[in-house]
Amino acid sequence: MKTLLEVTGLAKDFDGTQVLKGVHLTVYEGEMVAIMGRSGSGKSTLLYGISGMDKPTSGSVSLFDREITSLDDDQMSELRLRHMGFVFQHAYLLHKLSVMDNIVLPGFKAGALSRDDVNQRGKALMEKTGISSVAAHDPGKVSGGQLQRAAICRALINDPDILFADEPTGALNSRATQEIMDIFNRINREGTTVVLVTHDAKVAARADRIIFLVDGLIQDELALGKHEADEQAQAAREKKIFEWLEHQGF
Amino acid sequence: MNWIIIKNDFKRNKVIHAGLLLFIIFSASLAVLSVMVATQTLTGISNLYRIAQPPHFLQMHKGELDQGAIDAFMAGQENVIDWQTVTMLNVYGDHLTIAGTREAFTLADLRLDIGLVRQNETRDLLLDAAHEKVVLGEGEVGIPVLLREMYGIEIGDRLMLSNGDVMQELVIVTFVLDSQMNSPMTSSTRILLSDHDFETLSMGVSEHEYLIEAYLNDPKEASGLKTAYENAGLPQNGPTITYAMIFVLSALTDLVTVFVMLLVSLLLIMVAFICIRFTILATLEEEIVEIGIMKAIGLSFKDQRNLYLHKYRLLAVAGVLAGYGFAFSISGFFTRHISTTFGKTTLSVSVITLSLATACLLYLLIVLYAKKILKRIRRLTVVEALVSGKGFGKEKRFEKQGLHRSRKLSVNWLLALREVYHHFRDWTILFAVVMTAVLMMLIPTHLMNTFESPAFITYMGSSLKDILIEVESGEHLETGYTKVREVLDGDPAIASYDAFRRVRVQTIDGDHQPFNIDIDVGPHAGSGLQYLTGQQPETAYEIALSYLNANEMRKAPGDTVIIFLHGEAREFIVSGVYQDVTSGGFTAKSTDVFPELASTKYAFSVSLKDGVHPESKADEWSAIIGTGVKVDPMDQYISQTLGGVVSQLRLMVIAIAIMSICLVMLLTALFMKLRLAKDVWEIAIFKAVGFSEKDIQKQYLIKMGGVALLGIVTGIMLTHVLGSRIINGALRVAGIGIRQVELIANPLVTYLMCPLLLLALVLVVTGISAGSAKRHSIISMMTQ
Repeated sequence: MKTLLEVTGLAKDFDGTQVLKGVHLTVYEGEMVAIMGRSGSGKSTLLYGISGMDKPTSGSVSLFDREITSLDDDQMSELRLRHMGFVFQHAYLLHKLSVMDNIVLPGFKAGALSRDDVNQRGKALMEKTGISSVAAHDPGKVSGGQLQRAAICRALINDPDILFADEPTGALNSRATQEIMDIFNRINREGTTVVLVTHDAKVAARADRIIFLVDGLIQDELALGKHEADEQAQAAREKKIFEWLEHQGF
Repeated sequence: MNWIIIKNDFKRNKVIHAGLLLFIIFSASLAVLSVMVATQTLTGISNLYRIAQPPHFLQMHKGELDQGAIDAFMAGQENVIDWQTVTMLNVYGDHLTIAGTREAFTLADLRLDIGLVRQNETRDLLLDAAHEKVVLGEGEVGIPVLLREMYGIEIGDRLMLSNGDVMQELVIVTFVLDSQMNSPMTSSTRILLSDHDFETLSMGVSEHEYLIEAYLNDPKEASGLKTAYENAGLPQNGPTITYAMIFVLSALTDLVTVFVMLLVSLLLIMVAFICIRFTILATLEEEIVEIGIMKAIGLSFKDQRNLYLHKYRLLAVAGVLAGYGFAFSISGFFTRHISTTFGKTTLSVSVITLSLATACLLYLLIVLYAKKILKRIRRLTVVEALVSGKGFGKEKRFEKQGLHRSRKLSVNWLLALREVYHHFRDWTILFAVVMTAVLMMLIPTHLMNTFESPAFITYMGSSLKDILIEVESGEHLETGYTKVREVLDGDPAIASYDAFRRVRVQTIDGDHQPFNIDIDVGPHAGSGLQYLTGQQPETAYEIALSYLNANEMRKAPGDTVIIFLHGEAREFIVSGVYQDVTSGGFTAKSTDVFPELASTKYAFSVSLKDGVHPESKADEWSAIIGTGVKVDPMDQYISQTLGGVVSQLRLMVIAIAIMSICLVMLLTALFMKLRLAKDVWEIAIFKAVGFSEKDIQKQYLIKMGGVALLGIVTGIMLTHVLGSRIINGALRVAGIGIRQVELIANPLVTYLMCPLLLLALVLVVTGISAGSAKRHSIISMMTQ
């Protein structure tokens, strides 16, 4: 498998406190990786560091064979726009724009497709994620699950190579969580690499591999293989994860 | 407790509070300054008038004088308490040479008639800067401050008079304050001699002019005395001036300063109020939950309101006090002209009281306005604040018109323009500041351009030509006229010229009382003037009246005016009402030549052929025609008459431009800080989805530039719409003979320099400010 993301000795300090202590991590093309850990273990900080959302204190992050820690703002923006997607725990849609406008905005900005094509793609994504009915709505007037799906559509509008997600189901109920994770699995099956942070074992069970972080370092990882839409298989994966997490002291 | 809340609030929103404070300081300082200058002007004039005692009625006359008849007339007037006749020895500017440390020069270019006088006994005194009666020794001379300002004359310079056989050298020992002739808009200026020198020179200088002065119980009745005097057939071939006219002409320059300051101060107060409204509403929206909780736990409206009001009280006190202090510290700069013209004035109780009252009034207005806005807290319910999310009923933030429908505009332009279009309220402060800056800069500039423009001649009773020649009454009147005609008829450089002569006729005023008017007559009399209503006289039975004459006679176009010629009444139809600041504003124009009447003045408006330089031509004719005739290029005529007002206005325009530039830069910087702080979350989202710093910067440049452009365009439009109205309102109050001016805009300044300067300032400051967003990572911005 081809390496997509190579993290070496990634460290991050906040006011003298070392949150990441030299993480080494490799993510392969087409993989779906879940990062787990207790609160304060540094899992979100790791995701921000490897996605270029925040500057690490030291270490290197190679994405698509490019060292992203040394990229300037223009280069990093270009990378985010055309090759990466990011989904936050909260949808973070722009309140002044409709759901549809939020989704097509990065597509318009990238300019790789005509605006008509971007709109078509936006509509297709909304249909796939089941939010076509709220396309013209004010983001303040739609449900949390619909917002999060809109955020996913926005992250996918430019057909990214890798999608980062920080607790994408953290604010959702179990049904919405299931639906969102179905979308993630579908995207992944279609070829997009996914790296997500979660504290939910059921969410992590959708990933190919789970990384467990303790005090800013990777303590262990669990390879699960590709997720299958089979209830029994899913139950077996979840059981395996629960045992593994117990072993990690989670 | 309150103090802690206020302190925290200041810390949290220090940028907007600093901006607000600045506006209060500037508006308070200008309001206080304008009141100080106005009060100082009035105090200065009243102090000068108290001691110098200018006449309430003044009739100038050249030639024979029957003092007995004047005494008999004055004695018979109930309202007259005293009178005197002052003799002036008229000399021409080219007969007077000033020599000192600099190269010697003559006063030949001075438009004003020069009169040599001696000091009066008790009334109409010429004073020094300390308001002391000037007493000169033999060989000494006192020069009016007006000439010192115009020519830079210094104490110790020598004044040499050569008038025919008379040669006299005098030393300038003082500058005198002349309470009645201290403005270039009056017709004469007086140079003070010692009694001895006056007696000596009065033998040699043959042209005497008399100032017949009267003092009244009620100075407001001066116009009544004027009519009675003129109808009594007493000496009257010169201008008649009343106390009110002396006052207006004396104070004009400083009143223009006061007017401009008041105007700018009002504009700044307006912006300060917009800032207050914006700040309060933003705070209330931000703290809606706290307000809801306070309401829910039963805190009274008054208690809640006071939590906010104390802050504005504190800001208002600090701003008004600082503004007051600032005004005091720079007042000397703006009252220099007052000290020069009216003598040294100390800060009187009235200046301090009125300026303090102004400051207090501004404080009260701010607090009352803040109270009015805070009433919204009373109307808000707990449910609106905490449950329904309705809040104060703020505008809907969501933009219905889909971005996705756009096909052409780039995303940055699209986002920025949509933001400004849909959320313009958030940008009101910048809009208001830029618009105010435009108004502040352009209205005084237009006023200055208007006073400076050659076209202003049309408000001075003449049509716009190249050269104006005037032959004033006196012994040279007819010979001067003949000489001028000879020169003009023989000069091939002339394209055309119109000749006018002035005659004085009797008519009746609005109360059917006999009333004398001066009419400029000639085939083209009244052409090319600024008519308020009607038009120039076309037939010999028509007459055009100046605005002040029309008011006095209560006549409008179409009305009949009766003119008495040798006891016979002739009817004229008023063809139009024009504006004129010359001759006290009381003139008329007719194409009838009135051959039976003697002339009191001749005037020639000359158009030169293309390529002929008016200044050199005027000099050439001046040298040929000689003394007694004023030959001036039109622009020089205006600049000498209104030069004082224009130079004071120029000073104001420069000061206001600097202030506007500083305000725009400062407010743009403060506003950008505020916006960047408010938009931090939105910026983080933009960056997270792939927008670069440059994109963000571009969006702000478009937004700020767009709003600034709107402010500039609105400012220019408002200047066009309101500028003339404001100025005309002020002119009407001033009563100087103009009611309606068309402000002259310098297109280069109005449409290019001012807009470009302001736009560039906003864009540069925005560009620099937007760069500061680079310091934050996306995540740290999102968590702010």
